[in-house]
Amino acid sequence: MIWVIHTLNGISFGMLLFLLAAGLSLIYGLMKILNLTHGSYYLIGAYIGSTIIAKTGSFALALIVAPLVVALLGAVMERYFLRRFHLQELPQTLLTFGFLFIFADLTLWIWGGDPIVLPKPAAFSGSISIGDARYPTYRLALIGVGLIVALILWWFQERTRLGAMLRAGVDDAEIAGALGIDVSLLFTLVFAVGALLAALGGVLGGPIIGAQPGADFEVMLLAFVVVIVGGLGSLRGALIGGLLVGLLDNFGKIFFPELALFTIFVPMAIILSFRPTGLFGRL
Amino acid sequence: MRASWIAAGLLPLMLPTTSSFAQQGPIKIGLILPLSGTFAPNGEDTLTGTRIYFDSIGNQVGGRKIELIVEDEQGRPDVGLTKARKLVENDKVQILAGFVSTAVALAVNDYAREKKIPMVLSGDAGANELTMPGPLYNPFIVRTSQNGRTPAAAAAAFAYKNGWRKVATMTSDYAGGFDTIGGFAQAFCKLGGTIVQEQYPPINTNDYGPYVTNIQSGVDGVVTFLPGSAGLKFVKQFDELGMKAKYPLMDIFGQIVYEPFLPQLGDAALGIYSTLHYAPTIQTPENQAFVAEYMKRAKRIPSDNGADGWAGAHAIADAAKAVDGKVEDTEKFLAAFRPDKFASPKGNISFDKYGQLIQSMYVRKVEKTKEGYANVVVESFDNVDQFWPMTEAELESYKYRYSELKGSMTNCAKVLEKK
Repeated sequence: MIWVIHTLNGISFGMLLFLLAAGLSLIYGLMKILNLTHGSYYLIGAYIGSTIIAKTGSFALALIVAPLVVALLGAVMERYFLRRFHLQELPQTLLTFGFLFIFADLTLWIWGGDPIVLPKPAAFSGSISIGDARYPTYRLALIGVGLIVALILWWFQERTRLGAMLRAGVDDAEIAGALGIDVSLLFTLVFAVGALLAALGGVLGGPIIGAQPGADFEVMLLAFVVVIVGGLGSLRGALIGGLLVGLLDNFGKIFFPELALFTIFVPMAIILSFRPTGLFGRL
Repeated sequence: MRASWIAAGLLPLMLPTTSSFAQQGPIKIGLILPLSGTFAPNGEDTLTGTRIYFDSIGNQVGGRKIELIVEDEQGRPDVGLTKARKLVENDKVQILAGFVSTAVALAVNDYAREKKIPMVLSGDAGANELTMPGPLYNPFIVRTSQNGRTPAAAAAAFAYKNGWRKVATMTSDYAGGFDTIGGFAQAFCKLGGTIVQEQYPPINTNDYGPYVTNIQSGVDGVVTFLPGSAGLKFVKQFDELGMKAKYPLMDIFGQIVYEPFLPQLGDAALGIYSTLHYAPTIQTPENQAFVAEYMKRAKRIPSDNGADGWAGAHAIADAAKAVDGKVEDTEKFLAAFRPDKFASPKGNISFDKYGQLIQSMYVRKVEKTKEGYANVVVESFDNVDQFWPMTEAELESYKYRYSELKGSMTNCAKVLEKK
């Protein structure tokens, strides 16, 4: 029965990884921007979420408001800063690196250096029995939410007009623009959605990963590992990559505890050596 | 006449190079603390405690002003060493103090020894070897916080007394963690207990689910040393995965039940035991005054780091007073720490010949009081020196350093092997 628990641990953490990586992958896929600010979106999302929960006691409100605020932040970043360096990868990456430090200091200034772990919503604060063990319903809910987000993203990409425009943009932004697609709006939108997903991960992951100075770096690193394993620019890659990394990390820590620092990086290195583009990458 | 007048005119220009002038300047203390990253709360508390004491004496001692220069080491040894160099070489501080991370203290240790700069460990840094005879021993060190092994030894004593015989341990994977849990293993084995499982999550572990699920079933208790956000994340999972209902938890150093964390932990912290050299609930006038002042400034209950910072400032001021403010005379200044005895928020403090303090150890338990969740003292051990409950000779007779025990603490024969 303990193995069921271990597996659930791995899957729920994997779903969280998916949420954190999906936005990064989406943004890179369309705009070729390596967004080093991605972890900051997580951290800001988690902090705003914690403030909302502290003030109103509503986890649901935090889950809606925090991602929207961060999405706006992402849109502003894209519209007024990154746009100026369109397709210039190095200046763009450096710019996002600069934002990473600015956000790190801002969050330290506003929320202080104390680590926090977000409280869980009341409806999912209990646990259920699995055999002779107890399992928190929150982690099960996390798996459900991850699947729902994956489904929505898939539907958005494959079944909506905007999604079709997005796919066209990923394949060839120039031709898509020539065909009358408003690529400029698409860029802002995708950047905002990417930020929104990371902030969603911040609120949802807050009760497990927590928020403290430095979490932005750690989350960014995790997100990069997942998209490298799954393949940059692929949502399916982010989902499979997230689950794979979550499970391997979990079982790695149990079977090879002395390698705990590397259990996340070993799969990445192995996959990279066989498939340099990641599992589902085309680039 | 004219010549002497010219000379007098030149005099002020020449003075800065003479030592008599330097002694009229302020006593500069460089505080190296983590103000960002995992250990930031510990750093902030040390700083507040330090300020409270110095403010209470008007930031002046032995006729000289006290000037604090604070540097953030970001929890990184390389940054800590750079900041130490900057403080000593650019800011010309006469004393280094603070140090929360053991790794940072170890990184600065050689440098301070080489530069003959007094290094007052008023932060959490608990590496035992820094104040024990051996290769790392630094005669310029005075410690006013604690060493790694005494709260661990107190945890072993309390656990054994309460019938724990088989325990699982969970320790953050770094030098300070090995020191601490090694000290626990030694004391616990000596009493007759056994560690049946050791786990070492890396310091930046995001998800403690796997480690908690992996705890061996049927143990009498779980013993942890998980500083900073690690403890916070761990205990949430420990509670949620149903382990807290099954096993009592002993938190060496009170890292999980760190006072600033208690409000957000809520009921998840109830009943957790911890050992430490301080508790905000200690009923003495010194502590009650300290807690009141601390609450006024920081808007929260002080932690041990606050009390340690206060004690560090007190010890520095006492020693500076004993040498009439001449802290540049390093030898006399350091010697003045040794006979120092004073009452502090954490109880009576004195120092041994190695510069390590002798103080009380408290076993606390989280209870819901009328002021909210608090660590209530359930037992105390007084006048605990750094070798307690052994003698220096007995402790010396073990052939290992604690960090070498990592991975073999489940084998008491090995743990108790003598030279």
